[in-house]
Amino acid sequence: MTRKDRTYSGWTRVALFVSIGLSLFLIAIGRAGQEGGTAGRVMAQESAAPLAALVSIPVQSVENYFQKLADRRAVYEDNLDLKAEIAVLRERQGRYENLAMKVARYEAILGVDTETDIPLRKIAARAVGESDGPFVRSLLINVGRNDGVVIGNPVMSTDGMVGHIINVGAHSARVLRLSDLNSRIPVASARTGATAILAGDNTINPKLSFISQRLDWKLGDHVISSGDDGSLPRGLAVGIVIQDENGGLRVSLDSRKNPIDWLWVSPFIPVAPPLDEDVVEADPS
Amino acid sequence: MSFRDVKTPTRSLPAALIAGVFLILAGAFSIVSINVLGKSASLGFLPLIVLVLWPRRANEMASIILIFLAGLFTDWAVGGVVGQSTLIFTIVWIFFRPEMREEPYAFLSLFIIWVLISLLAAALISAAGWFVYRVTPDIMALILQFSVATVMLPCFLLLRRWIAQLYGNGDEWGR
Repeated sequence: MTRKDRTYSGWTRVALFVSIGLSLFLIAIGRAGQEGGTAGRVMAQESAAPLAALVSIPVQSVENYFQKLADRRAVYEDNLDLKAEIAVLRERQGRYENLAMKVARYEAILGVDTETDIPLRKIAARAVGESDGPFVRSLLINVGRNDGVVIGNPVMSTDGMVGHIINVGAHSARVLRLSDLNSRIPVASARTGATAILAGDNTINPKLSFISQRLDWKLGDHVISSGDDGSLPRGLAVGIVIQDENGGLRVSLDSRKNPIDWLWVSPFIPVAPPLDEDVVEADPS
Repeated sequence: MSFRDVKTPTRSLPAALIAGVFLILAGAFSIVSINVLGKSASLGFLPLIVLVLWPRRANEMASIILIFLAGLFTDWAVGGVVGQSTLIFTIVWIFFRPEMREEPYAFLSLFIIWVLISLLAAALISAAGWFVYRVTPDIMALILQFSVATVMLPCFLLLRRWIAQLYGNGDEWGR
């Protein structure tokens, strides 16, 4: 391999300096949190989504092949586990029905409705792109504003919560996964109701931060969304509490059980703060 | 006429344009991820393959502009640090100047250049990410991205040879 002399002409050199300077400037404003270009992001996302969907067809065929192999290998153990689980669940079902009846009776007496606010409507979507880079954990899905998706909507797989919408175009949307560095959602223990913040740190198992009552958390507890900030409904399945090597509590995400392909967006309407004109000031007298 | 004028080769605009389109396509495809046996790897290093195989004697100015635009498109499509891909693509292009090779790469030379480019890109990704997020990168994600792209490298070599034959100008495209 031989090369020509390694000099650039004057204008080429200027163009290279401008290109590097602009790149550094964009990175710097990204760090300052003043990153603009939302329209550009949406445009790129909208044009990349169909292309990625095209490529993901053979990719998902390969994934499904390996998944089937893994499933077949574990079929005997899975069968035993499922039988044991059914036995436990049958016993629990009786208790659950009894409790549901009691709760309904109490609600009727007190005149309250404590049902979960998870919307019944679901917007089916397909994950056409998945960024599993060194800093970003996000998904690109093939539904958008035209399908009724809005920023903040939770996104679920059949196994559990995957993340929430952070960017929406006409026909595509970007999902910030629970494991992403920037993801923070309020969660609760399904067993005790103790609350915490599930903070992504780009690892497979995000950590539980700001734990309100440490003693109320046990390994193996089911973690659900607490709905505390009003932006997510209460009761979405998130994962199971595990412990890391430093003794900290983390959550093994339910959505990591299987490769992500089909999803649904839950068109949840967050609790809106009261408008200024609706607020009635308390009478100081 | 100076000696340098004599040495300066003809620069082809169509070659730069086609390579630029492929770089943008690779940027779009880099949002795709492969999940096999519990491991997930995105095609984030795919655009680097296009840079390694940048056509010989592609027009320099058009190459720089297209590389910048493709980098910007990639950053927006992936949802990562804006400016990171533009910086990486430009610096990789300056350092390795793939368009300046006089002869087609031998496979071993190509592989060595590919590894060096990947190392440089990984260092730049880590530095830019640390600057913005103040965290160290997920090294395993980088290794997986590199591995997937390395497996795909021969396919791109074949694709490139096919395009070169299609356009029938081996001098501009080479291997």
